[in-house]
Amino acid sequence: MIRNDLSSKKPLNILEKIETSLEKLNEKMEVMIEIQKNNTGNNLKNTPTLPDASLDVMTLLSMPDHLRKTAMTICRCTRATAEEIAEHTKRARAVESAYLNQLVIMGYLKKERKGRKAYFFIEREKQS
Amino acid sequence: MTKIIAVHSYKGGTGKTSMSVNLAATFTKMGKKVCIFDLDFRAPSLFAILKAKDMECWLNDYLNGNCEINKALVNMSDKVTGGGEFYACLANPATEAIRDMSSKDRKWEMHALGKLLALKESLLKNNKFDYLVFDTSPGLQYSSINAIVAADFVVVATTGDRSDVDGTKRMLIELYNLFEKKTGLVLNKVLDPSITAKKTEMKNKIKTDYQVPLLGIMPCFCEILRNEGNLIFVQDKPDHPFTKILGEMARKIENDDLN
Repeated sequence: MIRNDLSSKKPLNILEKIETSLEKLNEKMEVMIEIQKNNTGNNLKNTPTLPDASLDVMTLLSMPDHLRKTAMTICRCTRATAEEIAEHTKRARAVESAYLNQLVIMGYLKKERKGRKAYFFIEREKQS
Repeated sequence: MTKIIAVHSYKGGTGKTSMSVNLAATFTKMGKKVCIFDLDFRAPSLFAILKAKDMECWLNDYLNGNCEINKALVNMSDKVTGGGEFYACLANPATEAIRDMSSKDRKWEMHALGKLLALKESLLKNNKFDYLVFDTSPGLQYSSINAIVAADFVVVATTGDRSDVDGTKRMLIELYNLFEKKTGLVLNKVLDPSITAKKTEMKNKIKTDYQVPLLGIMPCFCEILRNEGNLIFVQDKPDHPFTKILGEMARKIENDDLN
């Protein structure tokens, strides 16, 4: 029984370490993106995105589970940072940051930087 | 905390509208400030049921961005006594309006979802509404799924009819599970009176069959059919079993007591 407990704790510790490392890696990558953006002007805007992709309920339904959770939360929050989304979804900030950026690339969300914080939002101004 | 309640079903004729109106009226009788929304744009019916007159704006206009939400609300507190306030936001029953709503694209539906979500700020926070009740159209339609996504809690009405049972099960698994929506099932129009007596047994059966908690069992009452949707039943018949069962459901929703 004790041996079982020990053996089940070990992978958990390893997973926690991997998660922490991933978070650090993600933060560093964000800094790199920021530096690259500053060096090349506003070149990041040229990142291929799908224009005018609408985050409607049918799209939400067809999304993979992990992205749907993030997308649903941003729908409810309207505008939020990865940290705020992570509070709702109870997942790591770095994970939400990656999913949010993925949704930006897919054209469903917009991203705006204010100081050190990045805000994600759904562009609803262009009402049809 | 539950503030927005959507009433939905797989098939039509399961008693959604009757349940929505009477649930909203039950909350009003409990002293709450409530607004009922007609989100059945393809077959609007609340307008006729509540006998609304001289509408300035419809829910359609609010979703189209043509008016503020306050202009689309009708105060009908005189129809329900009990200290609360009863408002309605109605779908336009004109054929042209139905046609217009049927031809909306995905982009519009996305904005409509945003508009429904914005009600949390405009009505619940700023205008101090306690509950918003969404009466939806049956099945998997944009307006209904928008309502489900915007709601905090969904009441799913189902009857014992075979055509309804399978579809409801599939809908709960393939739609509600994906949205991780808090849901309660109402077994409506139950003909066998012994079912209501075996509550615990039914509760477990529903949970096994539909994978969601049972909110209530409503027997089939001929009195409701006889009224032809002409009245707010809980207001006119305060001692009727229908009123009492709806009261229990409202308290369960309010206390978040579903299991």
